[in-house]
Amino acid sequence: MRRLALAAVMLLGACSAGPAPSEVVPRSAVAPQPANASTVSAAPSSAANPPPSCDATASLRPGPLPAAGQMPPGSTMAKIAQRGRLIAGVDQNSYLMGFRNSFSGEIEGFDVDVARQIAKAVFGDEKKVQFKVVTAAERIPMLQSGAVDVVVRTMTITCDRLKDVDFSQVYYQAGQRVLVRRNSGITGVESLADKRVCVASGSTSLGNVVNRVKTTVSVPNWTDCLVMLQQGQTDAISTDDTILAGLAAQDPYTEVVGSRFTDESYGVGVPKGQEDLVRFVNGVLERMRTDGTWGGIYRRWLTPLGPAPTPPVARYRD
Amino acid sequence: MVIDSQPRQALVRRVTGLARSTPGRLSLIVVVLVVASLASGWLTTWSVDRQERALEDLATRSEPLAHAAQEVYRALQDADATAASAFLSGGLEPSQLRERYEKDIAQAQAALSVATASSPDLTATLAAQLPVYTGLIETARTNNRQGFPVGAAYLREASGLMRTQLLPAAQELYRAETDRVSRAQDEADFPWGSVGVALAFVIALVLTQRYLTRRTNRLLNVGLLVATGAAAVSLLWVTTVSVLVMNDVSDSRAASQKVDVLAQARIATLTARGEETLTLVARGAGQTYEKNFVEVSERLEGLLDQATRLGDTEAVDQAMRQFRQWQQVHQRIREADDAGQYNDAVALIDNPYFDSLDESLVRAIGEARQDFSDEVAVARASLAGTVVGVLVLAVIGAAGSAMGLWQRLKEYR
Repeated sequence: MRRLALAAVMLLGACSAGPAPSEVVPRSAVAPQPANASTVSAAPSSAANPPPSCDATASLRPGPLPAAGQMPPGSTMAKIAQRGRLIAGVDQNSYLMGFRNSFSGEIEGFDVDVARQIAKAVFGDEKKVQFKVVTAAERIPMLQSGAVDVVVRTMTITCDRLKDVDFSQVYYQAGQRVLVRRNSGITGVESLADKRVCVASGSTSLGNVVNRVKTTVSVPNWTDCLVMLQQGQTDAISTDDTILAGLAAQDPYTEVVGSRFTDESYGVGVPKGQEDLVRFVNGVLERMRTDGTWGGIYRRWLTPLGPAPTPPVARYRD
Repeated sequence: MVIDSQPRQALVRRVTGLARSTPGRLSLIVVVLVVASLASGWLTTWSVDRQERALEDLATRSEPLAHAAQEVYRALQDADATAASAFLSGGLEPSQLRERYEKDIAQAQAALSVATASSPDLTATLAAQLPVYTGLIETARTNNRQGFPVGAAYLREASGLMRTQLLPAAQELYRAETDRVSRAQDEADFPWGSVGVALAFVIALVLTQRYLTRRTNRLLNVGLLVATGAAAVSLLWVTTVSVLVMNDVSDSRAASQKVDVLAQARIATLTARGEETLTLVARGAGQTYEKNFVEVSERLEGLLDQATRLGDTEAVDQAMRQFRQWQQVHQRIREADDAGQYNDAVALIDNPYFDSLDESLVRAIGEARQDFSDEVAVARASLAGTVVGVLVLAVIGAAGSAMGLWQRLKEYR
């Protein structure tokens, strides 16, 4: 009897095919990207024309440094003194140079200590400084609008930038290198020709690599680049060794490779035309160099880059 | 079925022949009236049943689903704002913020699984992205715990995913569900068709009565009178009930509009809070967030005004007061931050006004939802027994007309 029923069912099944069994179709996996990440095809406009030539790293010679709390009347420093605090544009995303200490919530780093030294020279108190976080691309606009008094944020002195802002003497000599995953086989900038490379928008590093690599991705902050490297969205990050050292310190599976292929001279950015402030900052930097403060700050933050070098030599155009 | 032209003509001749003699005409009228009574009864029953089902759908499906969709949005938005505040606070993450974040994620998941029933496609997008979001948040926490600034970059990436993908999908889900509510409300509207047919039937009965009076010189026909009475009662019943239901549904529309406005106000509150927090996280680079805060606050104020106009309640009044206080504190936060007193600004953000505003809105939403539920319940109660009543009256109408005319027909035998 059962066999008969089975036969009937089979017979029926033979003439009427049921619908194909349903499938669960997965959606394409979500691949998050840092906000405002974009692919750069050409170097920023300035690189299209030959860069203006000038003696970029020669700054204004400092006079004798006024004593803290006694700024010459009418000077830019006197205005800052009257406000009661220095407003410094810094980074909170560059480990070791300018970053937010996640435990205390304070912003710290080499650049931040340089800014504190300037505040100390004005007020005699290195705490009288307000930090404003600026992205690489915001540095010049923030100086131009007067939103900050100075920018101490891994800012390379270039002839291009000197058209819009003034710079102090060189306070740190960096150079561009490459950060990669340890097993990537990339040995330096020369092996990036068929690779995807991440840089921060508005940085000098962008113009230095855009024509030497296959794809350039730009993001607002350097840590966004590390996120992309860790998520496999980029093969390498290329920028100043100072910044790369800070990124490498956050991920033991990355390494800085190749030799320096550019010279990046960091200066303190000052709004265009404030010569008195430039001379004052140069005086502060001169003092830091001679009294050992510079070496102290270096040892506090940048030991991962190697033992403290001699501070960069000041050059003046008077 | 094909009818030959010969028999068809024969049939037409027979019917027209019937209509020419009075008894023939009466028999035709009996058939027409019985069919009309039953048809009108059936049509009315069908439309009442449709209303009933629409109301049931409102009470048990559409409204709860719309609420679930709104909860998905709110929980996600709150999770994102809370993750940002926990980051801002520095040091070890405050446990109450962590708990709030975890509760939000759990709530979003729960609400999502409720909403899956009606919008599987939209919820699938959300279901695919939510684990990616939480993964990024955990990576951010891990890095933050080690003092690495890359933690903040992961937090920004997570927040970007939330703002560009998850929240728009949740918004779409909410729109889809509220549209379903208004469609169900449309279906429960006044049944013009069946009321019209019922009215036509009553008129037909009255005309028949007049025709009989003229033909037979009898003043009244009891059977037809009963039928007319039954049809009139049925018409009156359906019309009254429909007017009541229409009233309740229109009240429920007002209530759901209020829920919608309040829900949007709550989302705006949470959005504004997120922007306020991010302004401080960005440390001076937060002009965009501040701009967003101002915009969202203006929208929030507009929504609260609108909620007040839709029906002033104590909860809404209170929400308005707390909103004003919060705006004042925000002013002070901005002043402190702009004056370089960052730590004071961070201390001020921990104020009670945001939380109490949120609580007032939750209360107001609860009250408006209760109003909605009450209106729908009243509407459903007024429909109770209508189907059975209308059917019984239709049968009485059919029987009455048949009996009344049968009496007259007998006289021709």
